[in-house]
Amino acid sequence: MSKKIGVFVCHCGTNISATVDVEKVAEEAKKNNPGVSYTTTYKYMCSDPGQKLLRDKIKEEGLDGVVVAACSPKMHEHTFRNASKKAGMNPYHVEISNLREQCSWVHPDKPTGTEKSVDLVRMMTEKTRKDKSLNPIKVPVTRKALVIGGGIAGIQAALDIADAGHEVIMVEREPSIGGHMAQLSETFPTLDCSQCIMTPKMVELAQHENIKLYTWSEIESVDGYIGNFDIKIRMKARSVDLDLCTGCSSCWQVCPCKKIKSEFDMELGNRTAIYVPFPQAIPSKPVIDRENCILMKDARKRNIKPNDSKVCRKCLDSCPIAPVKAIDYNQVDEIVSEKVGAIIVATGYKELDDTSMYGEYGAGKYKDVITGLQFERLASASGPTEGEIQRPSDGKVPEIIVFIQCVGSRDPAKGCSYCSKTCCMYTAKHTMLYKHKVHDGHAFVFYIDIRCAGKDYEEFSMRAIEEEGATYLRGRVSRIYKKGEKLVVLGADTLTGSVVEIEADMVVLASAMKAQDDAEKFAQKLSIQYNKDKFLSEIHPKLKPVESSSAGIFLAGACQGPKDIPETVAQAGAAASKVLALLSADELEREPVVAKVDRLPAPIFSTCIGCFYCQRVCPYGAIEEEDIKARDGSTIKTVAKVNVGLCQGCGLCAATCRSKSVELAGFNDEQVFAEINSVEFN
Amino acid sequence: MIEELRKKAEELLKNDTVKVVFGYGEGSVPERTRPVFITKPEDVNKLTWNKYCVYNLTTYLKRQETRKLGKPAIIVKGCDARTIIVLLKECQIKREDVYILGVTCDGVGDPLATKCESCDVHTPRIYDDLVGEKKENKEVPFEERYAELDEYEKLGEKEKWEFWQKQFSKCIKCYACSNMCPLCFCDRCIVEKNQPQWIDSSAHARGNLSWNVTRAYHLAGRCINCEECQRVCPVDIPLNLLNKKLAKEAEKNFDYRPGYSVDDELAMSTYKEEDSQEFFK
Repeated sequence: MSKKIGVFVCHCGTNISATVDVEKVAEEAKKNNPGVSYTTTYKYMCSDPGQKLLRDKIKEEGLDGVVVAACSPKMHEHTFRNASKKAGMNPYHVEISNLREQCSWVHPDKPTGTEKSVDLVRMMTEKTRKDKSLNPIKVPVTRKALVIGGGIAGIQAALDIADAGHEVIMVEREPSIGGHMAQLSETFPTLDCSQCIMTPKMVELAQHENIKLYTWSEIESVDGYIGNFDIKIRMKARSVDLDLCTGCSSCWQVCPCKKIKSEFDMELGNRTAIYVPFPQAIPSKPVIDRENCILMKDARKRNIKPNDSKVCRKCLDSCPIAPVKAIDYNQVDEIVSEKVGAIIVATGYKELDDTSMYGEYGAGKYKDVITGLQFERLASASGPTEGEIQRPSDGKVPEIIVFIQCVGSRDPAKGCSYCSKTCCMYTAKHTMLYKHKVHDGHAFVFYIDIRCAGKDYEEFSMRAIEEEGATYLRGRVSRIYKKGEKLVVLGADTLTGSVVEIEADMVVLASAMKAQDDAEKFAQKLSIQYNKDKFLSEIHPKLKPVESSSAGIFLAGACQGPKDIPETVAQAGAAASKVLALLSADELEREPVVAKVDRLPAPIFSTCIGCFYCQRVCPYGAIEEEDIKARDGSTIKTVAKVNVGLCQGCGLCAATCRSKSVELAGFNDEQVFAEINSVEFN
Repeated sequence: MIEELRKKAEELLKNDTVKVVFGYGEGSVPERTRPVFITKPEDVNKLTWNKYCVYNLTTYLKRQETRKLGKPAIIVKGCDARTIIVLLKECQIKREDVYILGVTCDGVGDPLATKCESCDVHTPRIYDDLVGEKKENKEVPFEERYAELDEYEKLGEKEKWEFWQKQFSKCIKCYACSNMCPLCFCDRCIVEKNQPQWIDSSAHARGNLSWNVTRAYHLAGRCINCEECQRVCPVDIPLNLLNKKLAKEAEKNFDYRPGYSVDDELAMSTYKEEDSQEFFK
């Protein structure tokens, strides 16, 4: 089919025209090319008048194909496709010839740059000739969202979506929501109590009529695609019936296993085997820790059902609920299914706990060398010392505390090259909290740089130094060793060039924020990308900061990289707004640039031979297996099929297929072939 | 050993485990064998086994005519069994749909086939039943396995190009190489695709080059070097040289040898962070 093609060459100010003779490019596009019926150049094609020019010429000249020779299609393909759509042309007859990134910016010589530009335009003209009209794919949407993780990021996102009237399912793997923020004492830069600002949100979430909460539960599998995810959730056996239990506390008061290290208190305090992690937990109903409960241990050892073991039944006996008790020892994991349209991943971070990495600091060896989060628990009113700063070893109030920054951060030698971003601020906060509680105590801080970029952050850290009297020393610590009751900290002060030796009572390591241990496995479960540090990756670091690499899955909070609370909350809101846009209609439109595996008449049915290389290389899990059946129901052959809801149009399948059975719409074989063949090789 | 093979085949057909046995039969002259497809227990005497059983019978697993016969038992040497592993990995056969009758082997051909010189699969790595005394599969060093490339690799870029131009100029596009190859199993070969026609099918230099190079590329990281393509080539193009070179590259870059284990991840569809990225240069 012959086409009337218009070629619009953009100057991009002087970005293109300085090194490419745009007039000549336009002229050459027309030469010996009867299909090209109109060419022009314009200073800024993407400007309003530029787009108007495009629209007008499509109408006036009756164009049915357009080549815009301008910048990368990543920038303005959308703009020009929309403009042509407004002029009544199918937008997929618009092709972008990238003269800026692929020519003018990289070739300073004008004649050769011009020559290459002529080639680039001709290639796209030939491709345009083979363009077919494509129509957006409509996908139905389940107007419900899943939020994975119940820390501040998840809570904020869930509340935002629920407040807008959509149902939200929240899955949290711990017994209570709250995450790390619930563990913190005070928050920077305002020093307001973390739990005081956190718990109202937790309560609001628990009481919200649009939110369904699964705690002590994990994501078993995620199938489906944008708008239509099928989720399987594993509700781990809690051994407590959430409907019957009133959270009266009688069970954990009688539990004989009282010496289990509390995860919530970062192992500085103890808990029982049947427990709620902290007083404000939601739900404030207990869970039995099956690893440590003596009844469960006995049942495991004897390989019997827990209920048949009679070693200890104190919690059950104490339960006042009648006639059916709220405790069920025999409870097993349960898998529930949910359908959602969008997913927010807010799985958070984990504090560096691999103490072996920093053997020289004696972490794990000396009780009084603790981590940042442990200090938070010491300073928290709900913590093991009720907010009094005491050394873990003997309960003595420390007179000197040394804080060491960048433990596990900015240390490529230890495999962590990134900055954890929050430690400078929380260490400044720690010195203040310490000073407020122990007036004659002295805080020393070893730092590499003080990075406090943020609203009121610099002022906050200066306050720690100037008003609260913390001594900041620029340098690293080489060794910590014990001398009597004291910990001797050997370090360098690089500003004075001297060696520093401090006899401290306690050392606090500003431990790095790391990705969760299972982040990699989890990302693979969701088919989303992650970086070398196992933090989940956004699709564009600047322009798409909350979108994951899989459509319909968004990121919030520290699962994506170290973040403080304000940033986390802002990102959670941003992710929620993306979800709301997605859930705003019953159907959503997808780009029709998706792959397709051919289907032919019998006896071939498809040239696909079912080797499923495409399935193995697809990063989005978009290739399914389809049985082609005979009338009697028997399978003739099993071939690949693209799920258009999941396909992102990357084209890996098409490139991998040996029999060329897969084509990418908008980049089909004929188009690419025409494009390549228009280049004169010499 | 022949008797044992016949007995096993007879048993399999009698108790209806399989419908057909793919094996070797006597040829028109003593130095040749030919494939036989035994469907009746009384015909098992047609089966033979000797050093002339060079063919890789697994190619019949892909053919419509032989597929129609029903579930097969197939006689495989260690090298042929590697093909079966690749076919399993590439979803072309299901394990339960084929009965593998492995034979241990000291090498075939007279003189000994090149493929046998560096054999490390005297006993098949996969089988349902084994005929012959079990032999140790000794690891052969990397250099030795690719020794036949030594001469070729000494050539310069230009000489290599000229060498292949000359070799490919002989090609008559009979496609015997792909017909015989057990791993060339597409219903429609890329060479048959004509809208657009990626590979020029006419017999001139450019068409010959694209056909032969594409064929070799499509086998990279998959080919187990059974040398069948080279054996059947009527104009004696050393096709296995090309295959072997690509196999060497695959092993060197991705530490992968096809057909050694069903648990291996396929080199050409598996991304690993430690993959060699030399090609970015």
